[in-house]
Amino acid sequence: MIWIWIILAPILGGLLYGGERVLRARMQRRQGPPFLQPFYDMFKLLDKRTLIIHAPHALLAIAHFFVLWLSVAAIFLGWNLLYIIFLHLFAQLLLVVAGYSVRSVYSHLGSNRELLMVVAYEPILIFVSVGFYLVSGSFEIAEILKTGGYLTQLPLLFAALLVIVPIKVKKSPFDVGEAHQEIVGGVEVEYSGVFYEFLYMSRFLEYIFIYSFVYLFGGDSSWAGMLLVAGVFLLVNLADNATARVRTLQMVKIVSMTAMAFSVINLAVVVL
Amino acid sequence: MKFFSSFRKRSPWVLHYNAGSCNGCDIEILAALAPKYDLERFGVINTGNPKQSDIFLVTGPVTYRSRERLVELYSQIPEPKVVVAVGSCTATGGVFRGMYNVEDGIDRYIPVDVYVPGCASSPQLIIDAVARALEILETKSKEIEKPFKLFGAIETIHNRLSRLNMAAKVGQNEKN
Repeated sequence: MIWIWIILAPILGGLLYGGERVLRARMQRRQGPPFLQPFYDMFKLLDKRTLIIHAPHALLAIAHFFVLWLSVAAIFLGWNLLYIIFLHLFAQLLLVVAGYSVRSVYSHLGSNRELLMVVAYEPILIFVSVGFYLVSGSFEIAEILKTGGYLTQLPLLFAALLVIVPIKVKKSPFDVGEAHQEIVGGVEVEYSGVFYEFLYMSRFLEYIFIYSFVYLFGGDSSWAGMLLVAGVFLLVNLADNATARVRTLQMVKIVSMTAMAFSVINLAVVVL
Repeated sequence: MKFFSSFRKRSPWVLHYNAGSCNGCDIEILAALAPKYDLERFGVINTGNPKQSDIFLVTGPVTYRSRERLVELYSQIPEPKVVVAVGSCTATGGVFRGMYNVEDGIDRYIPVDVYVPGCASSPQLIIDAVARALEILETKSKEIEKPFKLFGAIETIHNRLSRLNMAAKVGQNEKN
């Protein structure tokens, strides 16, 4: 049963992405694309001629996608939270290497920004998992989901997670890594056709990855988890429509001043 | 494949290039993409990246400075692709026709599928043109399409067209 969900994970993420595009359009009082638009895009990309820069560059995109899929699978299987975070970091680094492997300046800029994004959000993810450990006594997701009351004990940690969700789903004000019209997609710039499709689908998996962290705050009540995910989803899209992009270093500064401070204070309170 | 070809018209990604336009048509293109006319309801995204685009929206008569970029961008779009010439300048040269520093229209350099009249053309016309371009896109094959004016030899690597430095070949052997 769980394997079916793992195989369907990219499709679930695609539905989430499609729903988000419609929601964002409705917030701007326009009709927006069809709900299944991400899948139309995927089928179209399969039909395009593919331009390849060099083989490792194309291969790294596929590797990025599959390692990311593995980390999402690990979440569904209820593995250790730290494994999952580091698997995800590995996937991210594959993408960074891919970005540096071509000559495009935009690609290099995208890789630089991707690394700074990792610097910004990675400590927070680890702090969040440490917070779960302090409350539930385990890093295993299966164990974490057996106890509840995370929101009452870790409210500031949840706020910290809220700050880094836009970085991970590449939304304003923290969409520096992608930044269309500024650095034309960053690391995506040299990809086309089938290989771009893998990057496009890995975006869906990122959605599942970060929103499952939000879901974990619901604890043993799956309804609370779903409600949290829906609330954060709305809030992130509202912020996306209402804010402009900040610069990369500003982003790192903002995240370390708010999210980092929140999580350290919260962890100190729980430990003491 | 037949199955995938039917999705071409549902997800056209647009590349917009200003080949020396007065910005009139560019503003109208952006108006067509903005909430009021909302081109995104057809699945259109303004990618800004030739390697991921299907429709090439060009504005402006081609100035000598911009023609190399025009050909470079055109040859970097993977097939199937469609070119839409937006505005009178792009079709015939418009008010700039015969001037010393412009080419009269982009069809001297690249094959054009849809011409949009107007100075500046209205967002409704642009939406109409994109819808027409989608019909053409659906019938196109994946044959390699080359720009008209590409002087010098076309290079192949392992029997494949090399798209490296297409622009550099435009200026060679040309009088202007």
